[in-house]
Amino acid sequence: MDKKVIAAVICVLVVGTAFGAYFIAKPAPQIEQKQSEITVEYRDTVVLGYGKDPRLHGGKWGIGFFPKINVLERLVEYDMESDEYVPSLAESWEIKEDGRVIVFHLRKGVKFSDGTEFNASAVKFTMDRLIAKEHSLRPERAEVIDEYTVAIYFKEAEFFNLAKMAEFHLSIMAPTSVTPTGDPDGELVRPIGTGPLKVVDYKEDQYAVFEPNIYWYEERGIESKFKRLVMKIIPDEDTRVMALRSGEVDIITDYTHGGSDYTPRNQLSMLTKEGFRVYKRDIPLTWVIAFNYEREPFNDSRLREAVDLAINRDEIVKIFDNQVRPAKQGMFAPEAPKMKEANINYEYDPEEARRILRESGKEGLNVRMIVNKEQEDQILVAQLIQQQLKDIGLNVDLDILEGGAYKQKRDTGDYDMRLYYIGGTDRRFYLRLFWRFHPETKWKAYLSPKTGELCDDVLREFNREKRGEYLIDLYRTLYEEHGVIPLYNDIMTVVTSSKVDTDYNKLFEFAEPQFYDVGVRV
Amino acid sequence: MMLRYIIRRTVQIIPTLLGVSILSFSLLYVFPGDPAELIVRISAGVDNPTPEMIEKFRIESGLDKPIVLQYFNWLSHIVRGDFGVSWTSGKPVLEEILERFPASAVLFFSTFLISIIFAFLLGIVAALYRDRLMDHITRIWALLGISIPSFWLGLMLIWLFSVRLHLLPSFGFGTLKHAILPVLTWSMSFMAIKTRFVRASLLDALSQDYVLTARSKGLSDGLIVFRHALRNALIPIITYLSMSMGHLIVGSVMIEVVFAWPGLGSYLVSSVFRRDFPVVQALVLLSGVMFTVMNLIVDILYAIIDPRIRYGG
Repeated sequence: MDKKVIAAVICVLVVGTAFGAYFIAKPAPQIEQKQSEITVEYRDTVVLGYGKDPRLHGGKWGIGFFPKINVLERLVEYDMESDEYVPSLAESWEIKEDGRVIVFHLRKGVKFSDGTEFNASAVKFTMDRLIAKEHSLRPERAEVIDEYTVAIYFKEAEFFNLAKMAEFHLSIMAPTSVTPTGDPDGELVRPIGTGPLKVVDYKEDQYAVFEPNIYWYEERGIESKFKRLVMKIIPDEDTRVMALRSGEVDIITDYTHGGSDYTPRNQLSMLTKEGFRVYKRDIPLTWVIAFNYEREPFNDSRLREAVDLAINRDEIVKIFDNQVRPAKQGMFAPEAPKMKEANINYEYDPEEARRILRESGKEGLNVRMIVNKEQEDQILVAQLIQQQLKDIGLNVDLDILEGGAYKQKRDTGDYDMRLYYIGGTDRRFYLRLFWRFHPETKWKAYLSPKTGELCDDVLREFNREKRGEYLIDLYRTLYEEHGVIPLYNDIMTVVTSSKVDTDYNKLFEFAEPQFYDVGVRV
Repeated sequence: MMLRYIIRRTVQIIPTLLGVSILSFSLLYVFPGDPAELIVRISAGVDNPTPEMIEKFRIESGLDKPIVLQYFNWLSHIVRGDFGVSWTSGKPVLEEILERFPASAVLFFSTFLISIIFAFLLGIVAALYRDRLMDHITRIWALLGISIPSFWLGLMLIWLFSVRLHLLPSFGFGTLKHAILPVLTWSMSFMAIKTRFVRASLLDALSQDYVLTARSKGLSDGLIVFRHALRNALIPIITYLSMSMGHLIVGSVMIEVVFAWPGLGSYLVSSVFRRDFPVVQALVLLSGVMFTVMNLIVDILYAIIDPRIRYGG
């Protein structure tokens, strides 16, 4: 009996080893990259792997960022290169009372995906809904002037009001999205917009199904390459990549907001080598070290300077396989307005950092850094910073906390340093200026009398040249005061199988990925 | 006699259930700060509520009443199935839980069943072939099962069966195929230590005098093991299984995240992170109730397996 058992086990082990060795040793199949130049047949369904639930039922924070970009549109969009707001659903606008009132003249002949007309009433409905929900970006009121003209009133007279109109949360939704129809307090049934996609089906935490919005495509004289876009919600980043590799999804994309739930940066090179297409877009989102600058020890700008000089940004970006850029040339990414003109250079000089610590008697100082556990890459960055600061004589205790506990310590000021981000995708450039550096925000990264005033000046100024001057002053002041220490500029990526056709400029028309042009070849 | 035992044990769990409900209710009060302010801030999304807003809410929601009254008011809703509304989604908590329950039930019961079956099979074989090849193999298997993190194992299985072999889906919920990898991953870690426990318990039973007597009477090995030794070995095994049930109920988070399995484990964790108290309260309460009921079932099983327990011996 024993001999038979032993023989059987040996046979199983031998066969299993041979089987496993064959498949493990076999190289990945070469994915065909050749495209037909004549007619191309596309599959009806494109499958997209996404890390977050799109929240199509709304909820406390409204719908998710993905549908805000792909299902809805806004009155204006932001072109970062020219630092201008450009027409979208509004074809023109008038600034009145220094920006306290903006009158928008809407595009005619635009339809929501359910066939209802886009008009001033729909804009008013959207604004009224923001007011009813007490959204922090809500205007004071909106008034219909005529069918295609709407005036939006704000509390303050500032350029920032126009900037807000390009923001995710001010995307225009059809009154038929809610029940009862047109009720600002109504329950969201599903978001209906003028964007390229419409919502067809949704199961929370599992999937969402979109179809092309025929009106959007007709208006542009183009045809969709797909009949259905199925979003599969896959929270784990490694599983998302595996799903792409196994062919269960055709595309994986970063979280539309940026900064989290992204394709692991250190896998992008490997994916490219394997034949997948990696589309990368630089965004003006910078990860920084933020200080508790209102108390010791970091109320001392010299100490902040020492930290700045001790940071080797080139080492930090290696964590991300050099896929992101070291933030040496300024607080924001180089493509941010006037960033290059500010002519700033963050240096790495640990010797000077040590000298500053010695002179100020702070060598051997213990400080505490809080890190959000939910962002694993930030833990690695924090550990590297800990090591770099230890090299100059500053002892950093890392407090790696779950999200709620992190927010609590952040809000109560129970920390010395923390990792934070400023900026965002292009449309959030001015919004994040407000949220990070304005005296009235609760999510400050840094505030001094001078930076607060400059930030306010930037956000009030409609004249682009003048605003540019204020921006340069703000960048330089943040640099001189070492308010926050920039680490690296982030990116937005979309990775597709080699069978997916799309155009980079259409994918990243406004920084966040839009999928209206994708098609999976048969 | 058996019926009387069951009734007595059922009545005895009532204080436990009350204790669980008090624990669940008090979660909101254990958290630092004023519960009314917390609810207004998190649930209503008001960043800096004024004292007037907080006071108004306190009165409207009954939070100004004595805590005992609040508890009974809350309990009266709970027994009617009203667990309140999720502060994140705005949907009834019970609806959210029921949506996710099927996925958790599939994972829980499949894992439990498969791991029990294999734990018994391998444990019995290891005990019968003690210190021989089969015993060594199961020992290594158990060590691997305990040592290998489930999330890593899950990713490796995905890589092998989905990416390389294209045999199984790498994520999602819906068909039997979707369940194979998550259940396999979770079962492997769950059964590992159970296998060793079954082995140890059975060996202990097999070393007893009555087994020697049975052998000397000429009974076959199979009869000795399955009619006599195993039955006596079951008591500690069942005790251990019931204790590890709690781990199975709430420890599935990793599996759910890796496989995008829409279950209650990841929902509980994300609700904790978002401070969605109604959801956390409901899930803590339901877990506690489930655990208490499981222990009741185990106690009844004891009485069935060992008559001495039933007679108070």
